[in-house]
Amino acid sequence: MRIQQLKSQAISRAKRLYVATMMQVVGRALQAISQEDNEIQRELSAFPENFTFAMKVLPAGPGLMLRKAADGSFIFLSDSDGEADLTIYIKHIEHAFRMLSFQESTATAFANDRMVVDGDISSAVRMVRALNRLEAFILPKLVAEMAIKEYPSITLPEKLIQGARIYLRVATNFLSEQRKAA
Amino acid sequence: MSKGYYEFFCPVKVIAGEAALEHIPFELSALGVSNPLMITDKGVRGAGLSDYVITACSEGGVEMASIFDDVPPDSSTEVVRNIAAVYREQGADSIIAVGGGSVIDTAKAVNILVSEGGDNLAKYSGAGVLKRPLKPFFVIPTTAGTGSEVTSVAVIADRKKGVKLPFGSPFLLPNAAIIDPRMTLTLPAHITAATAMDALTHAVEAYTCMAKNPLSDAYAFSAVKKISEHLLEVMENPKDPQGRLELAQASTMAGIAFSNSMVGLVHALGHALGVICHLPHGMCMSLFLPYVLEYNLRKGKIREPLAELLLPLAGARVYANTPPEQRARRAVAAIRELRDELFERCKLPRTLKETGKVSLDLLPKIADVAMDDGSIIFNPAEADFEEVLEVLKSAWDDM
Repeated sequence: MRIQQLKSQAISRAKRLYVATMMQVVGRALQAISQEDNEIQRELSAFPENFTFAMKVLPAGPGLMLRKAADGSFIFLSDSDGEADLTIYIKHIEHAFRMLSFQESTATAFANDRMVVDGDISSAVRMVRALNRLEAFILPKLVAEMAIKEYPSITLPEKLIQGARIYLRVATNFLSEQRKAA
Repeated sequence: MSKGYYEFFCPVKVIAGEAALEHIPFELSALGVSNPLMITDKGVRGAGLSDYVITACSEGGVEMASIFDDVPPDSSTEVVRNIAAVYREQGADSIIAVGGGSVIDTAKAVNILVSEGGDNLAKYSGAGVLKRPLKPFFVIPTTAGTGSEVTSVAVIADRKKGVKLPFGSPFLLPNAAIIDPRMTLTLPAHITAATAMDALTHAVEAYTCMAKNPLSDAYAFSAVKKISEHLLEVMENPKDPQGRLELAQASTMAGIAFSNSMVGLVHALGHALGVICHLPHGMCMSLFLPYVLEYNLRKGKIREPLAELLLPLAGARVYANTPPEQRARRAVAAIRELRDELFERCKLPRTLKETGKVSLDLLPKIADVAMDDGSIIFNPAEADFEEVLEVLKSAWDDM
């Protein structure tokens, strides 16, 4: 019984760590793709400057928050505690884990009532499309096909180049933040 | 295929059938109230439908605290505040809504103000803001289509700010929905047809979209059957109370289905068309239903559930005589045949062109608005702008 308890505690901690890390990765990747991709920029064009988007796991995180900058791109905010204009709340860490480990697509997670939207629904629809496009670029096709409803028509060179750029920007962003913290 | 997870919720007591209105006094007393405010519109009042309710209550010892009969087709926060003031002035203790979608949504919003206090409706806008039960609330639908009597949402326009305020909470659901055939007996043919197509769309989308589940499937399947079996019968014989009751029940069942499984691209397009061209919601649903089903079918997403719907849509003989691989396409054909019949009988348009109110140059704008509609998330097939535009072009003149 004791071993079982320790095992489930360890799994629970690992899931929380994974979700927290993925929130950081997805947040930074959204920032990166919003600086690169015309489609995403078109989606974000509907939001006013300083519009904030958050995705948070209930009851107390982890989460991510982004703010729309003057140039139309998203800026990842290291502090996700504030109130955002649009927040997608994920009801439980397990639901966030399933979504961020791509076992359950964003649309399926909505259909399964794993998430609730606080804010304008149309804005949430745009953000879901942006997340889908991001996943299409940064995930291997086989994994992306599980994470989104339909894999978009992206050529392999386009995917590789765009994916590499996003990962590079995410890594740079992580490193510069580490340097600042040091 | 079994669904990995689902939620289903409908605590509304459905009181349906002959002399259903006469149950209202007992149901009010069971909730400890006796002084209801009736909320309705001029059309319902003028048709004498509210009189059935007033008489049924009066004979059962219940008098209305007041009757507000001036709900406009597109209600607003101002109307809601005015009705809340009447409720308070007259010392009402409950609400009875008699009408269609606008009356029911207005009554839900009035219930928020009179239960929570104050006049600021915007404070309660959004999902899950309400945290406690509201005042006793009964709904008597006078159209057989919206299903609003069993949905936990309402939309009210804030004209000063130029926005529509959405409300979503299980506490908005009425305590009871009273389905009495007398209330739809005098509906004109074109409204009967359009509202029934609205209910059919609720049921078909509930059965084929992403959040379908075994319980919503049961309601949706039965709703499709009732509409297929009774709509043309009622169009032929509008005064048939049994047929009217079947359609009214189908509408409520479809409402229960879609409020638990959501809807898809038909609604996304219909909402957009309604906003831009000011066409009735039911007509918008009828205009898009076959074209969206064909689109989803082409994408290989709804073959199985749509094939199953051939049975309630066309009957056992057609189902049995249709090879399994053709059933989904035959189901769409059955919907097209129904639309053709309705066009013959009451000129319910089948294409955007036939409405005479939509121009070809508006299609990109309609597609653009549809792309941002919340329903699109639950459509089983992904649809980008170009694909949505293609569906609209198909719906333009059925080519």
